[in-house]
Order: sequence, then structure tokens, then C-alpha cells
Amino acid sequence: MDHSTSDKFTELHSKMNLRDIFSVGSSGLRTRRVRAALSVTGITIGIAALVGILGLSQSGSADLLKDLDALGTNLLTVQAGDGFRSQEATLSLDATAMIDRIGPVYQVSATTKITGGVFLNDLIQDGRTKGITIVAADLNLLSAQRGSLKSGKFLDEMTSQFPFVVLGSVAAERLGIRNTSGDQKVWLKEKWFMVIGIMEPLPLAADLDRSAIIGYPAADKFLGLDEPPEVIYVRAYPEHIYDVRSVMPATVNPENPEEVQVGRASDVLEARIAASDTFLNLFVGLGAVALLVGTIGIANVMVIAVIERRNEIGLRRALGATKFHIASQFLTESLLLSVLGGITGVAVGMSVTATYAISQDWSIVIPVYVVVGGILCSILIGGIAGFYPAMRAANMSPTEALRTK
Amino acid sequence: MINLENRSSQFALQLKEISKIYPGPPIVQALSDISMSVNHGELLGIIGSSGSGKTTLLHIMGTLSVPSSGSILIDGRNVVGMSDKQLSGVRSQQIGFVFQEFFLLPGFSALENVANGLLYSGIPLDERRERSFEMLGRVALEHRANHLPNELSGGEQQRVAVARALVHNPSFVLADEPTGNLDSENTASLMELFTKLNEDGTTVILITHDLEVAESARRKITLRDGRVYSDLSR
Ligand SMILES: Nc1ncnc2c1ncn2[C@@H]1O[C@H](COP(=O)(O)OP(=O)(O)OP(=O)(O)O)[C@@H](O)[C@H]1O
Ligand SMILES: [Mg+2]
Repeated sequence: MDHSTSDKFTELHSKMNLRDIFSVGSSGLRTRRVRAALSVTGITIGIAALVGILGLSQSGSADLLKDLDALGTNLLTVQAGDGFRSQEATLSLDATAMIDRIGPVYQVSATTKITGGVFLNDLIQDGRTKGITIVAADLNLLSAQRGSLKSGKFLDEMTSQFPFVVLGSVAAERLGIRNTSGDQKVWLKEKWFMVIGIMEPLPLAADLDRSAIIGYPAADKFLGLDEPPEVIYVRAYPEHIYDVRSVMPATVNPENPEEVQVGRASDVLEARIAASDTFLNLFVGLGAVALLVGTIGIANVMVIAVIERRNEIGLRRALGATKFHIASQFLTESLLLSVLGGITGVAVGMSVTATYAISQDWSIVIPVYVVVGGILCSILIGGIAGFYPAMRAANMSPTEALRTK
Repeated sequence: MINLENRSSQFALQLKEISKIYPGPPIVQALSDISMSVNHGELLGIIGSSGSGKTTLLHIMGTLSVPSSGSILIDGRNVVGMSDKQLSGVRSQQIGFVFQEFFLLPGFSALENVANGLLYSGIPLDERRERSFEMLGRVALEHRANHLPNELSGGEQQRVAVARALVHNPSFVLADEPTGNLDSENTASLMELFTKLNEDGTTVILITHDLEVAESARRKITLRDGRVYSDLSR
């Protein structure tokens, strides 16, 4: 009657299916809701910050880099700077021709500001110009800026002779003119000019967005302009851009080269990209710190849970739970916590992005990888935060865990 | 209730020359050379003063700790040398525990607490619920099935714990001072319950230092300083 070997016995197994593991793992949270909610705030904030900032940079300024490629970095802006002489410096009348003689230069486009206002009609003139400036320009201005038209046409040989005007994007908006269909006229420096074109924004010369552009011949004929060019836009071959830049002042004004200011239009754009990168990095950094703090927070809560629920662990071992079952219970709990925080964070981040994008009139772009990445990130965090507490719970000796007091 | 034909051995539990030494420091020899055989269907009381080794013995009987030497046969199966995982399997199928502190999980209903006794047995959820409800009936608590532990009296809580220990039809139930947190009235009714369950076929090993409680047991083993001092049957 003595069976001292276990060979003839079928082995006895503790078994638990995934649904039970999930249900047991979530039980700790169901009974401690407030603590669960508090412990995930770090993760929520971190994920929300990352989703928000990545979403916003996608919706907004990340296009700048693409813009820069399309716009080119070889556009120079030449204008008269403040000299040492008392009267205001100007460019000479033949500056355009002199610049054109520089070898690597392939496009030169002059502009001159004209004082005067632009209005929708000739009746109400309260002196406010709506900030729109009149600019006389060469016909190749749009091509030098690599700009495009929202509506209508740019000035050509013919139209530049007559009272025709092309509006910058902001100027058109301020005047309430949406397109060039119909004979839309504007009251420009006491003369009627017909609007024949509206430009898209010009990223390399934002001040032109606020201008009403007419041809030099028309400016001469109707407004009596005989000023020299004020700002000259110069396109040169990119590999020679530095050389062109350095010879520019002496070419334009051999006597007083220090009175000539030469700038690179794309520098402004690059500075904006650099600024937005810094901003982005700052927020990604803050998000990462929040995630780290959140991870520690969850790990901390889980360690406390394991200590508090020592008797529960002992009981479950007595009921037949294996070490693996105990570990998976606490790991599940930690994963649920962090994924809960992750989902909330993604939702918060997305609504912040959407709200801000709407307020900025941007299209809402929330890349799928940001959403999926946010959730995956939270799963990873749950695993990291829960690993040590789960191991600690699993390796507790059952008799130790059942001890009271 | 217990189908003896399912049992592989005449004995629910056999201990052979069990010793337990806690390495300390200081070294404590909690149990020395303990041998006993428990038949299926017995109601065995193990008594002894504080520190005599009762809890240590119960933990070894329940495979929660391993002896320093000796062998343990549960329903004829030698469990000494088994892995932690295998021992968990043995507990999930063959052993029921009742503790002094009840150890019901807060936030779980009486029914769910009983069902936890089957959680690690691989039985499907529906069947676990069904068997647990039936088991609650056997401890006369069907009407409390959906109550939370904090809505139950101490006596009721311990009856839920007894139901949990029995729901998987173990070879034997180990109860460590089950009446320790109960008043005399509840103590009496819990002992009545154990007696009745035993009459229905459940093997019960009851550990207590309360001699009155031990009176319900037909067989009494007295421990003294980690040794069997007496083994008496009525
Ligand atoms: N983990 C341990 N490490 C060291 N010594 C221990 C440990 N557990 C118990 N002992 C010692 O073993 C002896 C038996 O302890 P045990 O808990 O089995 O006694 P008991 O009979 O259950 O007592 P009580 O009636 O007070 O519960 C005691 O001397 C105790 O101090
Ligand atoms: Mg004890």
C-alpha cells in the first residue's frame, strides 16, 4: 500500500487562461480606482506632450524644411543700409544693371516702395492704409521669389504699362478680395487700378505679402515715380553665392560699399527652422522626463501594491498559483496602468493638437505612428515599471507571504 | 460526497520522519522526526502550545514549505523533490486551506471568493461559478452569494473561506486556528460545519491550541517541542 514514487501518477498542473490572467490583473485596479488614476498621471502627461508636440510640428512648421528646398538658398537681398552720411542712403539708378554684370548672377529683380494707400473705394478714407504698401517691381519678381499665384496673372510687358495691380496674399485678404474674376478695382494712390492677380504667400519676402505690386512703366506714367530701386532681389548660382555676396557692396556702390546691405533671404527661414527645432527638442525632452517620472511612479505604486498585498499573494500561492501566475498578475496590473495612461495621453495630446491647429487655421495632421508609438511606448513603460515588483511578488516565499501582523 | 474510488491511496496524507530546521541564526529545530498517516475521511485535530511547531507542520503538509528531511505522500504521491511549479499543481487540485484571518479578497463577492478556490485548476469559468454556488449552499450562504466580505459577519466570512477550501474537492483540508478570530458562538457553529462536512466525507486536519475546539476531533495528535507527544483516537 505504500506508493513512494510518483511515476504512476499523472502530473497535476496549475492552469490559468489569458482571460483569467487579465481579470485577476485588473482586479487590483478595480478596487483601488483613485490610486490607479493618480499613478498614471505622469505617463498621461508625458505621452500627451509627445503626441501633442509631434502632432503640432507635423501640422505646422515642419513644412518649412520642404519649403526651403523648393525656395532655394541662393536668393540675395540687396538694399541701401544706413551709411555714415547724414542723408538717407539709396541705391543708384543703375544698380540693377551693375549687379547683372556679375558673372554667376542669373536673375535680378528690382522693387521700389511708393508712398500712398490702397483702398477698396474712393469715398471712405480715414487715413488708415491697412498696412498695405505700394511697390513698383520688375516683371521677373514672382519668378525670382519662386512664388505662385492664387488667382489671375502676374504683370507682363503689356499689363505693366497700364493701371493694373497684383496683390500680395495678406493685402488681398485685408482688402477682402478673394479672386480676380469680375473687374475688381482698387483706389491706389488716388487712381483706379484693376486687380489682375493675387499671389500666394512668398516665404522669402514676407513684406511683399502686404504689398500691391504695379509695373515700373505704370508707376512712372500714373504715379510719377522716378526713385531708384530700394530692394533688389538677386538669384546667383548656389556654388558661387558667397563670392557674389562678397563682391556685391563694391559693385553696387564702389565709393561707399559699407552703405550696401546684402542679406540671404533663406537665412530668416533657416533661423525659424532652428528656433522651431529647439522648441520641439525642448518639448520632447520635457515629455521624456515626464515619462521617466511616470515610469518611476508606476513602479513605486506597484512595489507598494506588492507589499500591501503580501497576504493575497500567500493566499493565491496556497490556492495553487505558480510563481508565473503571480508575476503575470502584477505585470498585467502594471501594463494596464501604463496603457490606461498612454491611451489617455494620446487622447489628450490629440485634442490639444486639434484645438491648436484649428485656432491656427492649419490642417489637422496626427500621424498614425505618433498614436501607435504612444501606445507602444506606454506598453514598454508598463513592462519596465512592473518587472521588478512582479519578480518580487513571484519570488516571495508562500509561508512568508501568509504571515500576518 | 468524496468519491473514494477516485483516490489513489488509502491515505490522504502520510508523513515519514519529517524534520524542519530553520537555519537562523539562531538555528531552530521546529520539527523533529514526525511520522503520521491520515486516512481519507478523518477529522484530525493537531494541538500543541504556542511555538510547538503546529503552523510549521501545516505549511509542510500543505506543500507551502519543504521539510529539511523526510517524505510526504499526498494521496499516495511523494511530493518531496517536486519543483515549485509541480507543488503549485498539487495545491491547486489536492489541498484546501482555511486560515485564522479568513483571507477573503476585498472587492470580490462571496461567490467570487469561493470561485478563487478553482481559479488555478483550469476549470472553465461557468463551471467554476456553478460549483462555487453549490458549495456556498453547503455552508448555508447561498443568500449571501453577491455580498462583499465587509458585508459579512466574521462567522460568515470564515464559512465562505471553508467553501473556498473545499470547492475543488481536495484530498484534505488544512485549517490553522480557523476559530482564532471567532467568538464562542461562531466557533461552535464553525466546528459543527466541519463535523458535518467530515461526516459527508471531507478529510479535515484542524490545527488549534484551543482544547475545546479539538474536542470535535475523533483523533488528536499533540505536538510538544516539534515532536509528536501523543496520538489518541476515540
Ligand atoms: N521562518 C522562521 N524562521 C525561524 N524560526 C521560525 C520560523 N517560523 C517559525 N519559527 C520557529 O519555529 C517554532 C515553531 O513555530 P510555529 O509557528 O510552527 O509554532 P506554532 O505552534 O504555530 O505556534 P502558535 O500557536 O503561536 O502559532 C517556533 O519556535 C518559531 O519561533
Ligand atoms: Mg501557528
